[in-house]
Amino acid sequence: MIEVDHIDVAIGPVGILHDVSLRLAPGRLVTVIGANGAGKTTLLRTLSNIVSPRSGTIRFDGRPTAGIKPHLLARAGLVHVPQGRQIVPGLTVRDNLVIGADRAGLDAGTIAEGLEREFARFPVLKERQHILGGNLSGGEQQMLAVSRALMMRPKVLLLDEPSLGLAPQVVTTILKALRGLADDGLSVLLVEQLALLALDTADEAHVLQRGRVALSGPAAELRRDRAVIESYLG
Amino acid sequence: MTLLNFFQLLVSGIAMGAIYTLTAKGLFITHLATHRLNFGQGDFLMVGAFASIGMLTAGVPAPLAVLGVLVLMGVLGYLLERFAIRPLDRLGDRAGAYSWVLTTAGAALILQNIVELGFGKSAQYAPPLFSKTRDNVISILGVGIFFEEAAIIITAFIVVGAFYWFLFGSRWGKAVYAVAFNPEAASLFGIDVRGVVVLVFVLAALMAGISGVLVGPLVSVHPHMGLIFTIKALAVAAVGGFTNPVGILLGGLLFGVAEAFSNYWDSAFGDLYPLLFVMALLAVRPSGLFGERRADVR
Repeated sequence: MIEVDHIDVAIGPVGILHDVSLRLAPGRLVTVIGANGAGKTTLLRTLSNIVSPRSGTIRFDGRPTAGIKPHLLARAGLVHVPQGRQIVPGLTVRDNLVIGADRAGLDAGTIAEGLEREFARFPVLKERQHILGGNLSGGEQQMLAVSRALMMRPKVLLLDEPSLGLAPQVVTTILKALRGLADDGLSVLLVEQLALLALDTADEAHVLQRGRVALSGPAAELRRDRAVIESYLG
Repeated sequence: MTLLNFFQLLVSGIAMGAIYTLTAKGLFITHLATHRLNFGQGDFLMVGAFASIGMLTAGVPAPLAVLGVLVLMGVLGYLLERFAIRPLDRLGDRAGAYSWVLTTAGAALILQNIVELGFGKSAQYAPPLFSKTRDNVISILGVGIFFEEAAIIITAFIVVGAFYWFLFGSRWGKAVYAVAFNPEAASLFGIDVRGVVVLVFVLAALMAGISGVLVGPLVSVHPHMGLIFTIKALAVAAVGGFTNPVGILLGGLLFGVAEAFSNYWDSAFGDLYPLLFVMALLAVRPSGLFGERRADVR
């Protein structure tokens, strides 16, 4: 679903990513782990075309994405759950859920179905659907952010540190949901700082270190390799 | 002052206040979504007033003239965004943080001069919009008020109501709130951020245009009338708290009424006192009468 080939990304004069390549196949959950400042968020922002790579190519669903505006990529099914959740505080939970699906051009029936599905996935959202998004707890907001993305019927889901600032049991709930989505055929790219939890959940993993892919492999293998954890910490 | 005088001043004040509210709504919506506003908002109002005078005196029926003004203002709003706002956004940090003040005020100067070329410098009155003659007086509860003023008040409130529906009821209003909160995140939910920016500038121009059409029969219209309307709209938006649409409505009505009474007591400096009051208010309450610090409040 996503093919990244040798991309270099710079913000201003500062190089952030160097020669990064990765593949994301349908139904796979791939994680990118790395320390703060390794370039994880920039990688996702590049995939969503918020920043453009200086060189290299990105393909989504077989087609190069260069020049496609972020909102059109999102409508086409490359959906990015940004860091910090970014729930619109002045809109209700329900409006937050519907806002993306509405833009993606889904009809009312599909949106209603989507709401049923997401309310079943995270029942707390159903209870709180008429509350303003800004009044949710961090964990509820993260569930809302994931559900808002799923409402858009994505082919690929990009997640930027969904664990940030959340209690451990909420993190487990979210990661379990992501695992289930991948098992149902969705392609998931999970960027995380909580390396062990991410490796437990993912099929494949890449370790990003100062903008380069330092290590890649099946998540279970990297999980056993102490060098991974150490290079990640170092 | 007799009781009759009091009610007539009140009605005149509400009519002008409703117009200030409409003009200030335009400032509010672009400020909400983009943190920018049109420093030529009053000049857009002036263009709306002249366009309406031009068409009405040429014999165009009022509904068609209003439609014509709306189309013209929509185009002007688009052009303003395209040439005074978008190039600065492209420059990013290389454009100064407040460059848009200069570009929008510059666009206003261009408009003033174009209108002066076409209509001359002298002041004009628009023909009444809703009645045949200017002095068509109706009686409400024994108080005689100008029919024109009453109709202007009703129209302005209908427009304000439509604006609320747009902001809180329509999908576009929700998109405006999402962009106001975080443009980058909004684009990730599939919202066309640039489209929303164009939309709010077009809306702001429409609000100014409608204000211009409505104000034409009430005040003298001349090519350089815009600045004082920009200042008053800014004052009203500041009293209302800039981010609080209900506050702006109340602020606008208060300001209009205060001005009507102030002009009754002192015809030479009547316009001054409400503005002094706003200054004093902002010194005590910088976020306005109804303002909140958060930009995302309803």
